[in-house]
Amino acid sequence: MTKYSKKSAVSRRAFLRVMGGVVALVAGNGACPAMDAFAQENPTGYPLPDEKIEAVLKRLFGSRTPNAGDGKIKLELPLIAEDGGNVAVTIEADLPMTPASYVKHIYIISDKNRRPLIAKFSLTPEAGKAYIGTHIRLADTTDVRAVAEMNDGTLYAASRNVRVTISGCGDLPPQN
Amino acid sequence: MADTGRVSIRLPSTIKAGEVIRVRSLIIHPMELIQRDKQGNILPKNYNFIHTVTATYNGKPVMRGETTQAVSQNPMFIFPLKVDRPGKLTVTFLDTTGKSYEGVAEIKF
Repeated sequence: MTKYSKKSAVSRRAFLRVMGGVVALVAGNGACPAMDAFAQENPTGYPLPDEKIEAVLKRLFGSRTPNAGDGKIKLELPLIAEDGGNVAVTIEADLPMTPASYVKHIYIISDKNRRPLIAKFSLTPEAGKAYIGTHIRLADTTDVRAVAEMNDGTLYAASRNVRVTISGCGDLPPQN
Repeated sequence: MADTGRVSIRLPSTIKAGEVIRVRSLIIHPMELIQRDKQGNILPKNYNFIHTVTATYNGKPVMRGETTQAVSQNPMFIFPLKVDRPGKLTVTFLDTTGKSYEGVAEIKF
């Protein structure tokens, strides 16, 4: 059942850099939509500036306010996380998953992380159910929010408080 | 890590047609943390972490995840999949060094 496979594309970046140069020459210095799309597809690992939770919610959802997801969104997290570097989280949404109406995105947001948006998952009706499980890093004792966005834009949110004993983000400068 | 990029996909031991299963996919990856100097300033460099996870079943997209460094080392992603016919499940991971890692699992009844 389990199969391992490895695929490496070491030279892809170099190749694309050269190609990007060619495209830039052809298109002049103007904006090139294709390259913009590519830039979004492959973000670099350079750190982004810190963000406040309100700014993140505004950026993601604009003026839409999420409905209370009590009973609809089940967010499972430990009450106390001894190691903030590895906190299991599962989100199960009791919402329809048909081509007409389905859960399009699931966001995991932690209020006190440097960058509150932890992950954004997109599902299709092929999934059959709205469920996501993963392991996350938490910087501090914080509220963790799960927001489910339906394909028509309706939002459902749930949140839970987690006590974190040891920060999982190495956010503090080393103590010497 | 020598094992970096090893992908494993675990499926339930019995799968019935038409049922929604939970797929557990795991990749061995360091998911590098942001480093800071003694003043607490972030060191700007290209950190190596997975930014995209995609799962397709018979070529049709099922799940796509945009992840950040706030996802743990050796991350595991559990997602649902509706199996109404046998097929091939592919899970692809992309990291910020431009590498892509792929895991494949055959689903049959």
